[in-house]
Amino acid sequence: MSSQRQASSASQVPHLSPAELSYLYTSLSLPKNPIRPDGRSPTQFRPLSAETTILPGTNGSARIGFADGTQAIVGVKAEVEKTVLAADTLDSRSLAQHGDALNREGEEGSAAVSGQGEWVQMSIEIPGFRDDDALPVFLSEMMRESLVGSVAGGDVDGAKEMAGGLKGRLVINKRWHWRLSCFSPNLSHTPSPLLSLTTHLALLSTKLPKLKSTGEEDPFFDDDWAAAEYLYPRSNTSKSSLSAAPSYPVRPPVTLLVIAVGENVIFDPNREEIAVADAVLAISPGIPNSENVNMLGATAGPGEESGGQEEVEGVWRPRRGGVKRSVIARMVKTVLGKGGVGEEVLEGLEGVEVQ
Amino acid sequence: MKSLRRDLSANPQAANVTSKVFVRSTKSGKVQKIVRELYLREDIPCSSKLCSQCPTIAPADANGNIAPFILSERPAGTTAFPRGHYLVPDTNALLNGMDLFEHTGAFYDVIVLQTVLEELRNRSLPLYNRLLALVKSDEKRFYLFFNEFRRETHVRRGPEETINDRNDRAVRMVASWYGSHLQQSAKKGKKEKAIPAIVVVTDDKENLRKCKEENVTALSLSDYVSGLEGSEMLLDMISESKDARDSKETTRGELFYPEYFSMSKLTTGLRAGTLHQGVFNVSPYNYLEASVKTAAFDKPLLILGRDNSNRAIAGDSVVVEVLPQDQWKSPSTKIVDEEAVTRNDNPDTEETEAVVTDRERKALQEEVKKAHGKHAEGRPQPTAKVVGVIKRSWRQYVGHVDTNSTGSQASGRRQQNVFLLPMDKRIPKIRVRTRQASDILGQRILVTIDSWDRDSRYPTGHFIRALGELETKGAETEALLLEYDVQYKPFPKSVLDCLPSEGHDWKVPVSKEDKGWNGRKDLRDLLICSIDPPGCQDIDDALHARVLPNGNYEVGVHIADVSHFVKPNNPMDLEASVRGTTVYLVDKRIDMLPHLLGTDLCSLKPYVERYAFSVLWEMTPDAEIVSSNFTKSVIRSREAFSYEQAQLRIDDKSQQDELTESMRALLKFSKVLRQKRMDAGALNLASPEVRIESEGDEVGDPLTDVKTKAMLDTNSLVEEFMLLANITVGSKIYESFSQTALLRRHATPPPQNFEELQNQLSKKRNMELDVSSSRALADSLDRCVDPNNPFFNTLVRILATRCMTSAEYFCAGAFTESEFRHYGLASPIYTHFTSPIRRYADLMVHRQLASAIGYEGEDGHAVIEGVTTRNKLEDICRNINVRHRNAQHAGRASIEYYVGQALKARGEKMAADGVDAGIEEEGYVMRVFENGVVIFVPRFGIEGVVRLEDFVLPGESGARSVAERRELAPHRTTEFDSEEYTLRVEEKGHPEKERSVTVELFQKVRVNVSSVKEEGRGAGKRRVRILVTEA
Repeated sequence: MSSQRQASSASQVPHLSPAELSYLYTSLSLPKNPIRPDGRSPTQFRPLSAETTILPGTNGSARIGFADGTQAIVGVKAEVEKTVLAADTLDSRSLAQHGDALNREGEEGSAAVSGQGEWVQMSIEIPGFRDDDALPVFLSEMMRESLVGSVAGGDVDGAKEMAGGLKGRLVINKRWHWRLSCFSPNLSHTPSPLLSLTTHLALLSTKLPKLKSTGEEDPFFDDDWAAAEYLYPRSNTSKSSLSAAPSYPVRPPVTLLVIAVGENVIFDPNREEIAVADAVLAISPGIPNSENVNMLGATAGPGEESGGQEEVEGVWRPRRGGVKRSVIARMVKTVLGKGGVGEEVLEGLEGVEVQ
Repeated sequence: MKSLRRDLSANPQAANVTSKVFVRSTKSGKVQKIVRELYLREDIPCSSKLCSQCPTIAPADANGNIAPFILSERPAGTTAFPRGHYLVPDTNALLNGMDLFEHTGAFYDVIVLQTVLEELRNRSLPLYNRLLALVKSDEKRFYLFFNEFRRETHVRRGPEETINDRNDRAVRMVASWYGSHLQQSAKKGKKEKAIPAIVVVTDDKENLRKCKEENVTALSLSDYVSGLEGSEMLLDMISESKDARDSKETTRGELFYPEYFSMSKLTTGLRAGTLHQGVFNVSPYNYLEASVKTAAFDKPLLILGRDNSNRAIAGDSVVVEVLPQDQWKSPSTKIVDEEAVTRNDNPDTEETEAVVTDRERKALQEEVKKAHGKHAEGRPQPTAKVVGVIKRSWRQYVGHVDTNSTGSQASGRRQQNVFLLPMDKRIPKIRVRTRQASDILGQRILVTIDSWDRDSRYPTGHFIRALGELETKGAETEALLLEYDVQYKPFPKSVLDCLPSEGHDWKVPVSKEDKGWNGRKDLRDLLICSIDPPGCQDIDDALHARVLPNGNYEVGVHIADVSHFVKPNNPMDLEASVRGTTVYLVDKRIDMLPHLLGTDLCSLKPYVERYAFSVLWEMTPDAEIVSSNFTKSVIRSREAFSYEQAQLRIDDKSQQDELTESMRALLKFSKVLRQKRMDAGALNLASPEVRIESEGDEVGDPLTDVKTKAMLDTNSLVEEFMLLANITVGSKIYESFSQTALLRRHATPPPQNFEELQNQLSKKRNMELDVSSSRALADSLDRCVDPNNPFFNTLVRILATRCMTSAEYFCAGAFTESEFRHYGLASPIYTHFTSPIRRYADLMVHRQLASAIGYEGEDGHAVIEGVTTRNKLEDICRNINVRHRNAQHAGRASIEYYVGQALKARGEKMAADGVDAGIEEEGYVMRVFENGVVIFVPRFGIEGVVRLEDFVLPGESGARSVAERRELAPHRTTEFDSEEYTLRVEEKGHPEKERSVTVELFQKVRVNVSSVKEEGRGAGKRRVRILVTEA
């Protein structure tokens, strides 16, 4: 059990002495000007290198690595699958219509069909854990949900194709859809934000074969891979629009970790910084509908007054008591606000050459 | 972070590694992205004998030999390329002109690109196979160049480049590479003289333009051919479809046929069960009617009319859609002949035609009327229309040019459209564009269909070659062989190389120590003899019987040991497996195995020792089998009898020698066996076969050679033992190879097949046909006897046979054991073992049996190859089933042709004396149509259509010419009772009974048979005419 614990990277406490932790906390909580161990500014991300399409056999794939060797690989596979009609729609009437639909090829189109959440699968492999253990299941479900939940804003480019969000994009016609499987092999010490970024990038690079059949016919695809289309439509003028139009089309969400230390909001914390944080937030700025998005990652401790033990200078104790509302609000705002860090990140990812 | 992506630019080695990415949709609906890595190499030779570099780098095989170079150092030159040239055709050139490339007069030294070959494979599998055959044969010097794997010629698809453009670019790339490569590497001294030109042949205008830009010599196919000798004939061989494609947008607006559904719509419909797939089968009596047997319906779906057939041609695999019920019809009761209905069509004036001419419409309308009639029998049947074609089974067709269609200015050399009337009546006329119309009139010619576009009423094809004058022996025989796809070319050298080097001097080794004796029993002491048809050269089987000390008998069937000479997977074996069977025509035999084996080394000739594969039974005197045993052996046949000789010898009481006695024993056993078989419910079926026994005397009446098959006791003697051997071997190999045994089955025919016949019998003769089991059927067939009409029983048997499915070879794993049954023979298991010289199936069974009994071959290596892989066996089964059927059809057609010729010869002889009076014979009515009947003439084994004009009414002279008779047709009317199967023919306005003729089904009639030349239209086409003279 203990070895398993160690393997679970996210919750792992670094091997720092109480004094070191205390020192870290103090320097991070310096008002206005926190000093981070690696000298970054509070909103600065660690330098990372990313590349896409590294797994030739997949529909899309990406790899992101930090300089310290931490890295994540995500592959995306798409499969054609028959849509099983829900029991209540499967009455004789709808079957008859279905027959008609064959003849009246695509008059109605497939707009009426909405996708289903389970068409997207996410599997994350963590050494030492079985695939049905709580940790991998929780992690992958967390990722999947935000993916499926993303919907297009009304006035955005590409909104038409992405009308139903990712789910809608997967609909081929009334009877067929794509099933998307994202997998991330051998995730040893990958923090979940990195995984999220990589998934985002992999999905951006994902292509689906070009559909040649029309309407309600059984799907039939162009055999030229070069003709395949992006799962998330790319804008042609990507470079110029980056700065000009902040309203980017629908994108897969990313989840960013943000911590609060004292009054300071610090982005992309490393493991040690997380250990001393007052609050850790996982925020997914890709999803405009923010209520369902923000996930409270962790708070530092129960909201209880210190029970007797005095705080000793230079000795680290886990924080107690909550975080101020205003701090949380500020954290959310820095990420989600217009021109906020979230947008910056997404733009940055957009800029990664996917071909 | 080091990139994990394969980066081609950074790696100096990367030039030889690249990849190809494409999407593959599988049958089950999966869609996969496929990535193939390509490792480019530099050691793929150019294979030109001029090259001095490539021989040093070409990869060598295990023995250090490199493949011989193919392209000649002195390729043929033309006026445009006096220094010789190599051809580099692109895919379109091959699609349009494959027949040209096969032509022996030109098109040598051709570089076939891998790119082109693969593209061709996707476009047309038959053409691909033909090209492969060309590449394999040495004569034409076709070199398959793997340009995609050679580094210098590999082409990566550019962004936004269509695959066609990319492939065209690959072709250009190869051409220019060859050019510079040869320039560099040509052997010293030759350099100045002749570096052959590299000529790209392409029909793509864009490609031609780009070639010019890039300084690559390129010509269109027709431009290239124009520069050759005899270009006129060659130009005719270019596929028609190309011209049509070019002119389509501009000229014709009218579309005659509905468009086919898209492939995805077809598959959706097929899966959903709204569309059905089957093989398009055209009725032999009515070219406008076809049927498609589908899995969803018991009875075949009817397809009536040209617009519903929608460009399907007999044999195509089509997808059909059932029409609404108010359009259902009963099958036609009329004989409709394409030649007669559309005789006035002009091949050039297409614009004014409708797809269904009035005449055709009239023919159809009468059928609708029938369908709505009162009778239960003519119940409307579901009809359907063709909405798509899955697979065309277009082949090369033999026929002759319709004289009418050549027009008046046939003498000119200009190109014109003519109609080709195929020999096979079920194939529509083919429009052929030719410059040599006047030359090919009156010739048997071979054409192929190129396309059938929506705006064309008839398919378009092109001329391949002329076989010779109509009705000359050579042309007609070749026509027959081509029509039934019989491989008749002489065996290639590679096959002949597999024969024993001793040739005719080969003998069974004298010394028993010789390896040839390994695993063989010495049966030379047995009194073995063979009984075959007279003049038989390829003696497959021989028999013996002798008394054992315990009072039982030992009975042996000895089969020629062909598998000893034909080793698996050598060229001879492959050739035999392709041929599948020996084809017997009246005056020709097309062997499956080379002559040396078939008629000498394998043949169990008398008085010489031969290898055999023996089946030995111990039988009680009551023909109960005590045990059976299989062994390879050496035998010496004592005598080769004909059936008749054997019969005489057995009947001759004075012959008391051992051999005769053993034959008598065999005969006795065979009778018991036969009785047992009949008791089990074996069917005694009849086929309308006649034999041609040609004595080769030109003086006598050739018709005397036409003999109905006589059935002697000795015939059935041999047959019974062969059946017994086949059954015994069948169960033995199934025991050993439960998945891969090669067996033969005859499926129980579905009862509805017999409905029509049952109905006819009960109506006309009040007889029942019980089809509940083969036994019941055999018994009820026995009861179908008409005392006044001795032939009636045979007639019913012939008709019953046609209701059944045909027997087929199969691989044991393909069916459950209960389905192995041979219906006709009433045997639970059956195979073919006894004729390995003339059937490939038997040869396979020999190998399987040898392996089953543990025979280890001459050198101790068990030869199990080829008996264990099921996929391969299933391919073989499929092929030999087709070959077997074709061989039967070809044989029958050959006899039919011979009978026709014999009648003609007789007619001419008679004509010298006076008038051609034909010959009087007995005939039987087999089918009754509304405007004619089908008559079967047992004497000649032929059946023929008798149309209205061919009824000789009372008080009318029979001796009229064809043309005169044709005039009669419009003046006659009929009364047709489809319930009673009767037809009354009378002259218009003369309904008196005395002046009319009434015929009914099964009726015996007097007929006058003669061979007549069609006058007027079908230039010199001959048919056997049957006149009904007396009902």
